[in-house]
Amino acid sequence: MSRSKLEMATQTLRTAQGIAGLFFRLRHGRDSAQKQFIFSAVTPLVLYMGFFTLFPMLWGLALAFFEYSARRSGGPVLGLGGDNPFVGLQNFGDMLNFAPDAPLNVRQFHISIRTTLLFAFLILPLNLAITLPLAVSIESAHDRLKGFFRMFFFLPVLAPSVGVAIMWSYVYHPQRGLLNGILTSLNGKLVGINWTGDQSLIFLGVPIALIAVIIAYLWQDLGYNLVIFIAALQSIPESIKDAARMDGVSGWQMFRYISLPLLKPTILLTSVLTMISSFQVFDIIQVMTEGGPNDQTRVLLLDIYNNAFRFQRMGWASAVSVVLFLMVFSISLVQTRLLRTEWEY
Amino acid sequence: MDTAQALPLQTRKGLKLDKYRVYLLLIPASLVAILPFVWMIFGSFKTGSEIRQIPPTFFPKEFTLQNYANILTDKELPLGLFYRNSAIIALANVVQVLFTSSLYGYLFAKFNFRGKNAIFWFILATMMIPHQVTMIPGYLILARLGLLNKLWGLIIPAAIDAFGIFLFRQFSLSIPNELLDAARVDGASEFRVYRSIILYQLGPALATFGMLTFMFNWNAYLWPLIVLTEQNVRTLPIILTWYSNQHTQQLHLTMAASVMVILPVLFVFIFAQRWIVKGITLTGLK
Repeated sequence: MSRSKLEMATQTLRTAQGIAGLFFRLRHGRDSAQKQFIFSAVTPLVLYMGFFTLFPMLWGLALAFFEYSARRSGGPVLGLGGDNPFVGLQNFGDMLNFAPDAPLNVRQFHISIRTTLLFAFLILPLNLAITLPLAVSIESAHDRLKGFFRMFFFLPVLAPSVGVAIMWSYVYHPQRGLLNGILTSLNGKLVGINWTGDQSLIFLGVPIALIAVIIAYLWQDLGYNLVIFIAALQSIPESIKDAARMDGVSGWQMFRYISLPLLKPTILLTSVLTMISSFQVFDIIQVMTEGGPNDQTRVLLLDIYNNAFRFQRMGWASAVSVVLFLMVFSISLVQTRLLRTEWEY
Repeated sequence: MDTAQALPLQTRKGLKLDKYRVYLLLIPASLVAILPFVWMIFGSFKTGSEIRQIPPTFFPKEFTLQNYANILTDKELPLGLFYRNSAIIALANVVQVLFTSSLYGYLFAKFNFRGKNAIFWFILATMMIPHQVTMIPGYLILARLGLLNKLWGLIIPAAIDAFGIFLFRQFSLSIPNELLDAARVDGASEFRVYRSIILYQLGPALATFGMLTFMFNWNAYLWPLIVLTEQNVRTLPIILTWYSNQHTQQLHLTMAASVMVILPVLFVFIFAQRWIVKGITLTGLK
């Protein structure tokens, strides 16, 4: 009894102290304590982002107007000028040189743009064509198996893309690969197709080597959209599905007229994200083909990497980076517009 | 009356049929999906002479652990060192990114100060710029700071994650102000409010975002490839490609090395899978 009274008394005292303290600080020190906290937190943020975010952005943009190599010492400011001369818009002008005798780096840039767009526009429909039915199937499987299948198809997302690339190169290996092994046993005769290295293999205008890396990329990337679609399917209200069931719709009709329209915003958003990330593909292609055969799988990021870090053409590579940025940025603008649209059901 | 009774029965039957039909798609799809993985695992247990056989065998005829023994004793390939490099970079980045994201997310959600909107818009704008676009100046900066071929080179420039700040600002907005004021009444300093209340309230989101950050860092390839060109500072993904380029004719060894690089952490990720999936569906992050 006395103990709880004592506790109550100390509690009251503490609260009183606290309130008094607050009033005191509100009048005298609270504001300045908060100001100090904000100041000591925001100052390093601004300095840090200025140096590690804004500065590289501006520097990268500036480099696009120079012929720059880190090997040459150049002018006093960031090595620009001097042996690394200012060339104005020449890098961008060169990009528009479509003559057959254009310099190699220009022709390779054109190839990279085309390959990147081809890659992205093939990935997107293939991805949706696999993930949507798969998500619906997993969602309608038995409860106990749902989690298993979801994890199973999601696992490749967690693996390092380098490991995935190496693993797929064992599948495509011309002599010891799984794919040729299967074809040999089906065919009865030895099959030795060089899936990722023979430039004469073309299917409907698309190089087989590109299709090979697309399959490996899809294999790893499917899980992302899959889990997003499963989550979206789960958020469709049961009442809507029940109403449809009462009307006796079939599974396909349920998907076509109920799930698909309601998934539309999710599909649009994942399409944009899939597009952006496939514009930036690098790991799988660099490991599996290094852009070959004969630049058939050369994508923009590989072009930038090779120019900047293997051939020391950093000015040109920066100009290509600006183009990559504009591509990603324009798709991002579409994304923000989609996000701003309000969806309701 | 008749139809009313018949209807639920029919729907249930129809549903059941649907339920089994989905396995006609799911089971073959699973088998195809796991095939490359199984191929690599089987290959890692084959002998050198069996791997050279044409046409290749599927199941190992002679099951051997020699490849793994060779990898573990290869002096050219101190796997422990590369695991350590990868772990240091990934863990350091998780800790600092969680700290800055939660602190600045909270700051932008709950405080007003001059220039707040400008800074926040700048952070949002940087989210639209892919990292790869600034990798050339990023490399030049590290070169001038003498941070190339140092693990610090992958840690120091990675302290701020724009998306993390954005995410934790959204989460912080939902924390009631009364809770923060109550702590202040009790005499807590501003940093103490952050440490004891904000961090606690953001706990589950921090765990999820931390898993994603760890995974991205652990699997990163392009940026470490540029910054770390000396063997002893390299991370696992770079070492794996280096090793398989060195031993293109010994697939049994490179397969065993791949398994040893991919599998242990994949195993950890399987347990964390629920959180990672939650993080991805929550944020749409890629």
